[in-house]
Formats: sequence, structure tokens, C-alpha cells
Amino acid sequence: MKRRQFVRNISLASLSLPFISDGFGMEAVNQKLFNFSTGAEDRVLILIQLNGGNDGLNTVIPIDQYANLMVQRADIIIPQNQVLTLNQDVGLHPAMTGMKNMYNAGNLSILQNVGYPQQNRSHFRSADIWSTGSLDINQTNGWLGRQFDATYPNFPEQYPNPTHLDPFAISMGSEVSATCQGLMGNFSHTVSNPLNSFNLYEGGFINDGSYFGYNVEYVATLINQANEYGARINAAANAGNTLSTLYDPLNSLAVQLRYVAQMISGGLETKVYILNLSGFDTHDGQVDALNPTDGAHFKLLKKLSDAVAAFQDDLQLLGLQERVAGLTFSEFGRQIAANASFGTDHGDAAPLFLFGSCINSGIIGPNPQITNIIHEQAGIPMQIDFRNVYASLLKDWFGVPAQDVQALFEHQITYYSVISGCNVGLDDIDSGKATALVYPNPTPSNFTLKFNNITNGIVSCEILDLNGRIVKQLFNQLLEQGIHHIPCESSDLTQGHYLVCVRKGDQAENISLIKID
Amino acid sequence: MSLNPYVGPWTKKEAAHLLRRTTFGATNQQILAAVSNGLPATVAALLQVTPVAQPLSFDAGETIVAQGTTWVNAVYPATQVANNNAETARYKSLAAWMMQNINQESLSITEKMLFFWQNHFGVSAVTEARAMYHFITLLRQNSLGDFKQLVKDVTIDPSMLIFLNGASNTVFSPNENYARELLELFTIGKGNQIGAGDYSYYTEMDVAAGSKILTGFQVSGIRSATMPSTIATYTPVLHNTTAKQLSYHFNDVVVANANGNEYASYIDIIFQQPQVANFICTKLYRYFVNYDLSQDVVNTIIPGLAQTLIANNYNIQSVLQELFLSEHFYYGTLRGTIIRNPLDMLFSILNATGTAPTFDLVGNSNIYLTIYYAAENMGLSYAQPPSVAGWPAYYQVPAYSKLWINSTTIKYRFDVVSGILFSGLTIAGNNFKLNTMGFLNALSVPSSAPDVIDDICDVFFPETVSLIEKTVLKAILTNNLPDFEWTLQYNDYLVDPTNPVMLDPVRQRLELVLNRVFKMPQFQMI
Repeated sequence: MKRRQFVRNISLASLSLPFISDGFGMEAVNQKLFNFSTGAEDRVLILIQLNGGNDGLNTVIPIDQYANLMVQRADIIIPQNQVLTLNQDVGLHPAMTGMKNMYNAGNLSILQNVGYPQQNRSHFRSADIWSTGSLDINQTNGWLGRQFDATYPNFPEQYPNPTHLDPFAISMGSEVSATCQGLMGNFSHTVSNPLNSFNLYEGGFINDGSYFGYNVEYVATLINQANEYGARINAAANAGNTLSTLYDPLNSLAVQLRYVAQMISGGLETKVYILNLSGFDTHDGQVDALNPTDGAHFKLLKKLSDAVAAFQDDLQLLGLQERVAGLTFSEFGRQIAANASFGTDHGDAAPLFLFGSCINSGIIGPNPQITNIIHEQAGIPMQIDFRNVYASLLKDWFGVPAQDVQALFEHQITYYSVISGCNVGLDDIDSGKATALVYPNPTPSNFTLKFNNITNGIVSCEILDLNGRIVKQLFNQLLEQGIHHIPCESSDLTQGHYLVCVRKGDQAENISLIKID
Repeated sequence: MSLNPYVGPWTKKEAAHLLRRTTFGATNQQILAAVSNGLPATVAALLQVTPVAQPLSFDAGETIVAQGTTWVNAVYPATQVANNNAETARYKSLAAWMMQNINQESLSITEKMLFFWQNHFGVSAVTEARAMYHFITLLRQNSLGDFKQLVKDVTIDPSMLIFLNGASNTVFSPNENYARELLELFTIGKGNQIGAGDYSYYTEMDVAAGSKILTGFQVSGIRSATMPSTIATYTPVLHNTTAKQLSYHFNDVVVANANGNEYASYIDIIFQQPQVANFICTKLYRYFVNYDLSQDVVNTIIPGLAQTLIANNYNIQSVLQELFLSEHFYYGTLRGTIIRNPLDMLFSILNATGTAPTFDLVGNSNIYLTIYYAAENMGLSYAQPPSVAGWPAYYQVPAYSKLWINSTTIKYRFDVVSGILFSGLTIAGNNFKLNTMGFLNALSVPSSAPDVIDDICDVFFPETVSLIEKTVLKAILTNNLPDFEWTLQYNDYLVDPTNPVMLDPVRQRLELVLNRVFKMPQFQMI
């Protein structure tokens, strides 16, 4: 497996600028810290679509807005003492213990208030917008489909072929994913159970250019693909492994993610896996009338959180955690005020989760501001355009050059630093695969910086907050070549997310640090 | 291409096309009958709603009515466990009944229109089996009738009131779920977003106003141990009596309070917009003709149909009659444009071969349930669309009906075909297998191999298949022997029709042919 190399080519001048502004991770400076594209060919992206429009305000709870939330949604609000606090201002729904632990371990990030301009509240149109990554009604190809089209022309006719034996994307279940719709075909191959064998039959045909001819060609191509891809998937799933004991066999999303882990570990070179969790259209019965922490939304979030946590655990046990990043999305959030049916109606922006060992963990963006006046139909205003999140993933996770990413989107992209240094293991430094890490992380008191100094030289180290301000200078001294274990004082930090910045000459590395009480 | 009456040749090819689009499968004889009856008489016969009997109880979970009688107006057991068991039994009965109705001998457009409306209104069977039965019956009986009245009836139907939260939409807190879909999906349709909250034909303001107009309806009797049906009632105190201001799309009309009839006034206002006819005619066109709308279709065909619909007070039959009699409908390149949905694929095989289960009530019902589940595995759970917009194959640009087929469902289609053809589906000791010999014996000249293949191609493929493909099929039928060998074999069978030595080879050859036919891409289209 190829790994991200530790990087170089950073100018100190740029470091003096805060690389976080407006509370959002700005890519401009950070981009130079890491050469993300190295190893991109091994990387896998998991998309989990939360169908129906997830209620963001009961998922990521803005604790500092609690009093006004009580005004808006007293029927459905989660009791404050049951919120899983991430920091003093932000908490998760009590069902999400698995994802809370991932957050504490630096494997989860939350992007707040994600949406797009002029939110459309139709499920179907909005899901189209999210799938295409475009507000243009005439754009019918998916955001991933466009990227695949640009990279792999003449799909599906010329695939699979000897250099591309595996499907580019796998959609778990029986429906192909609209995110992967390309010009001529859909790049996602559907898999219900990868352990099933495939052996289909194909008839001959000639496409005469009519609707009928194209339909025949389409079906014939699918039959052909079902045969070839099916055998590859089957072989990979059988060769693959799964080690986590956390998967609940009754949790359908967990079962599917387990199959995904098995396919990845079996060597399948598929780049994208798409999964669906339905039921988020909680117009009524979102919460149990007698117990607001129970109900339909609780079950859905628990399903999501448990499944994702088990999957992350599995990836770490399999040693695959640096190859996989994941994203959840939903067509829209829901209105701020509850309706009278213990539910919520279609709204606007909502938080989005990124997960994995290499994502830039933390909370990006401020809490939504809730007023104490109920405005009919009000939703959460958008602050982060989801298309920029997609674009950032394409560039930083898959290593697509910026100009090529821009060509896929109609709007002017603003990149976010959604990908960061991986949470590398201790062994990786000894073997030279990584240069620096901190442990324990999260840390309750002090931590140790493990650092591989490649040549003798002056190394400095400081702790930054998420606004890029230096909170603490740790050291600035000549270090000999070799591996160092440097104890660092951090018991005086308040709990929260920090970055440990190690600099040497014109190079720097940022390591995410989480301080807990 | 126009809506002018079709005056071209009326042969098996055109007749089969009409029946393929309007029914769930026709036999070779039915196609021939349509040819001899002529186009106008065939269309007139198709455009009749056929009556069906009520669903009968067959499952042991039903403890209120006797096996073999209907439960559609029966109370539920009082205790929770028995109540749940009865509900499960009734849903099973309902699912089997729906499949049985499609598996019919007489030719009518009714079942295809019923599916159209189920897809259109998107109600999923979540409330109660009785309520769902009555909802389906409402759609069925009015499937060719007054569209405006149907929308009104659906609006206050108990299943819909529950499904889209109309029953919890009150003056104290509007729930806009139904009000939104009424505009977006059921009547006027959603256009491009041309401003904040403005969707070309309506705005968010209309959604909010609509939700107030529709307040006040409640549903009672769900799974009740005392009430023989669920009912919708209008409760005046829950109704928002304020004046409701509509947007400029509806000429800034203010809807005055009209209590329990206000919903109907509102629907009348919506239907004053010609876009409603345009919207539903586009949907009908996509369902019956082609998903891809050429400029000509957009500029001429659909406006023509919409004009007919308005001129006939939203009578759906008038539009379908014009469409099926038009030269446009028989235009050659519009054949084979639609990929069969799973039910169409299954019943085209069963109905065209005259195959129906012939066991007792329980046996037949279990077979139909199995067929229901098979379609579900291929992505179509009848009466349970994945969302209120219906099945993506009817709205998702650009793939449309291609969505029915992917590398998983194609495999399943083939597995089911193999099952029905070769081993048969064995459920509770009953073996349900394709009526291969019945099909063969009813063909024009069963003893002639070329004629058998010609008939098979006429029945199952929307377009003429190549001579090479026909030769391949004939080679399978004759096992690569000269044609006369088939004739001899068939004639031997006729002499001694129950003797397996004569029967089995004939049957097996035909099964192998059909196995290829049903797995050819060309079969997957209509």
C-alpha cells in the first residue's frame, strides 16, 4: 500500500497567516503542507446517503442555542442532560455514542450548516442537486460520474478491461447511485451481497441508433458487466477479511459496511462505495411523544452511528484506516420549529459528517443561530456549500488537479481543508512511513510527541487553536537525527481541538490533538 | 407525427404494440383477435374498467372472518397480538389479490392505469390493509375517469391523510407535507426555480396557504375492533378559517373559508391552470409512449392531449383514446422505448403463455405472494413505492426505465425466469410452472418450427429480431435438426399427448427457446 508522504515545501511566511478564518478551514495555506495526491490511487471514499432530509438540529445539537431551541421545538428537543457533549457548545444526539468516540479519537469531523444557495425543499429536486453537485436543472450527470467520465472515457463500452478490472464504484443494494451517473452509463455497480456468485447469459444485438437499439445495447452491456465485475467482486469478498466484533447483524447499514470492508481488504480496486439509509423524512413521530430521546430519529441515528463506528474499528484492525474516508449527506435539513406531529418539515442546511483516520477532525463552522421567535417555515441558512466539500474531497483525497476539479463544477470553488494528516500508528514512524505523531490522543493531561528527525537541525513545536493562534510554545531547539520521544505539557489546555505544529526549516507538519478532561 | 388518427397498416405488429403498452401481456390469439377486430374496436375494448372480486382471507392470522370470505369491511381483533396477526394476514391477502388481478385473461387497460395512479400518488401501504384496499379501489374505479374529481377524492382518503400527514394538519399547527406534494407531484408539477421559493407554477406561499386550506380532516378507526372501516371526518374546530392568500401564479386569489369543502374549492382553483393538464399528459405520455420528449412532442403532441383533457373536463379516457388512435403512437421508432418494469416482465411471461396457478385458495394465494416478493426483489414492491414521487424509473432523468435494470436485478430477472421455466416454483407442496404446452398448442401452427419462432417473436419482442437471431432460436427448438423433425416430433406428441416420451422432448425444446428469449435484452423492452 502506498502512503501519504510527509511533506515539504512550505514557506514560513505563509505559516504566519492564520490558516483558519471565519471559523472555516481555508485551504489556501494548508494545501501546501501536504501532498495529498500521493497514494490517491489506493484511496476509497464511502458515501452514506441519509434519504429523506435529516434533522440536523437534533443530530448535532448547538448547546449554546438550547434556550431558544426550547422555544422552537419543545416537543422534540433532546433533554440537555442527555446530549453527548463534544465541547461546551456542541453535542451529539444521545444515540450517537459510536460517532462521539470517533470524534474523541480524531476520526470524525462535523461541517456545520451545509447546503446550497436557494435551497429547494423538494426531496427529488434537492436529491438531484446533491447527486449532480450542480444547481443546473439540465445537469443530469452525477458529480462522481463527471469525474469518472473525465478519467475513464468510453465507459461503459470499453470496461472492464485489463487495466481496469474492477467497478469504479459500488452501490450497495439494488439501485445504482445517481452520484455516479455518467454520460453514457452509470459508473456504479450494484451489489447486494458480494459473496453471491454471478453467472449470467448474454444475447447478441446490433444497435441501430433507435431508442430500442440503445435500450438493447444498455441491457446487453449490463449483462456483460454483471458477469465480469461479479466474478471480481466475488473473488475479492471471499479473499477479504473482517475483524471487528462491533457490527450488529440486525443493523442493515452495518451489514453493508462489513461487506465493504471485506471487499476493500480483499483487494478490490473500487474507489467509491455508496450506501443508503432511508427514513429521515420525519414529518411525524420523529421522537416518541413520551420520550424525546426515543423514536424514529433515534433509531436511524443509532443505526448510522453504530455502523460507522464498527466500520472504522474494522478498518483499523485491518490496517486499512488510511485508505478510507467517508461522508454522510442528506438532501436537506429540516425546519427549526417542530410541527405538531412530533416531527419536522422540510428545511434547508444541515450538518454533514466526515469520517476516517485521515480527515481533518473537528468542527468546521459555527453553530447555527437560533432566535426566540418562531418564523413560519424557517430553516437553517446555508454557510458551507456542499459542492465545495465534494470538490475538496476530489482534490485532496483523490488527488485530482484543481483545474480539473473546477471543470466539473459550475460555480467558483472554495476549498476546505477536509483532509488532514492521518492518525498514524506508532510503528509507522519506526518504519519510516510517517514522521510525527502525538500520543495518547485524545489526551487527558500531557502527551508525547514522537518525531523522526531525518537530519540534524533546529526543530520547533507549538500548539495552535483552530483559529490558527499560537496557544503554547513547546520547544525550539537543535535535534539530532533519529527518532525522538518528546514529553509535552498540555494539562493546562482547556478541552477541545488543537493542532500540534512541528516545523523544521521551511517544512511543517500539523497533527490534530484532542484535549479531554 | 401527429395526433391525427392512424390510418396505416393494422397488422400483428401494430396490434401487439398497442397491447404491450396497455396491458400486462397478451397471448398470440389475443393479438390476432385485435388484428381482426380493428384498431377502433380494440381501443374501445381496452378502455373499459374491468370489475374484480374482493380479496379473500386465506392466512391463519385472520381470526375475524372465515377463510375464503373477505375482510375488507371487517373489524380487527381487540388484542394486540391477534390484531397484528390479522393485519399481516390481510396485507398478504391484499398483495396476492393485486397480483391475481394482473394475472387476468381479459384484455383491459385497467391494471396498467391502476399502476399509473399508484405511481402518481405514491401512497405506500402503511396505514392499514382495509384503508389501502379502499384506496386502491378508489384509484381502480376512477382510473379512466375525471382526474380533478380523483384528486379531490384522494385528498381526503384516509390512506392519503395518514400517509402525507393531512390527518395531523390542523389550525394549531399546519403540516405542509400534503399541500406541497399536491402541487409538486399530483397536479401542477414543479417547474424551474425562478426565484426564492418560486417554482414557476407555484411558490412556497401557496404551499403554506394550501396547508391551511387543507386543515381539519382526521382519520379514525385504524385497525379498530369496533369500526368496520377507517373513515375520514372533517372537524370544524381544527380547520383554519382565515382567508388564505395564494400567489400570483393563481392570480393572487384569496381563498375564503369554506370549511370542509374548502379543499375542493382549492383544487378547482389549481385546475384552472392549464399547466395541470400539461403536467398529467406529459406523465401519461412518458408512461405509455416514451420518456424522451422531442421538441415536436413538447410543442404539438402534449399540448394537443392537454387540450383534449381540458375540453373533456379532465376525463382521462378521452386523452388515452386520442393517443392510442393517433398516428404518433404507432410511429416505428417509438417501439421498444420503455424497459419493462418487474411486474410487466413477470406477467408478460405468465399472461402471454396463459399461465395462472390452479390450486386451492391458499395454494394460489401463496403463489401470488411469491410473485409479489419476486417483483419486490427486482425493485418493485407493488403498493409500496419507495417515495411519494413513485418509482424513480418514472421520473429520474436521464435513465428513467433503465433504472429497472442493473447488474443485480438483471441477474434476479434471469434467476426467476429459470425458476418458472425449468424447475417451477414450489410453494407449500404446490409446483407452479410455466404453461409451456398450453402456450405452444395455442400458437398459429405449432407443428411448424418457423411459425412457432415467428409467433414467439411477435408476442415477446417489440421489434423484429434479426434473421440470424431467429435462426438461432429455431436451431434451439429443432436441436439443430431439419425443420421437419420438429413437425414429426410434434405430431407424435399430438397422437399420444400424455406420454412423457413424446411430450417431454417437445416441452423441453420450447423451454430452452423461451429461456433464451426471456434472457435476451430485446425481451426487456416494450
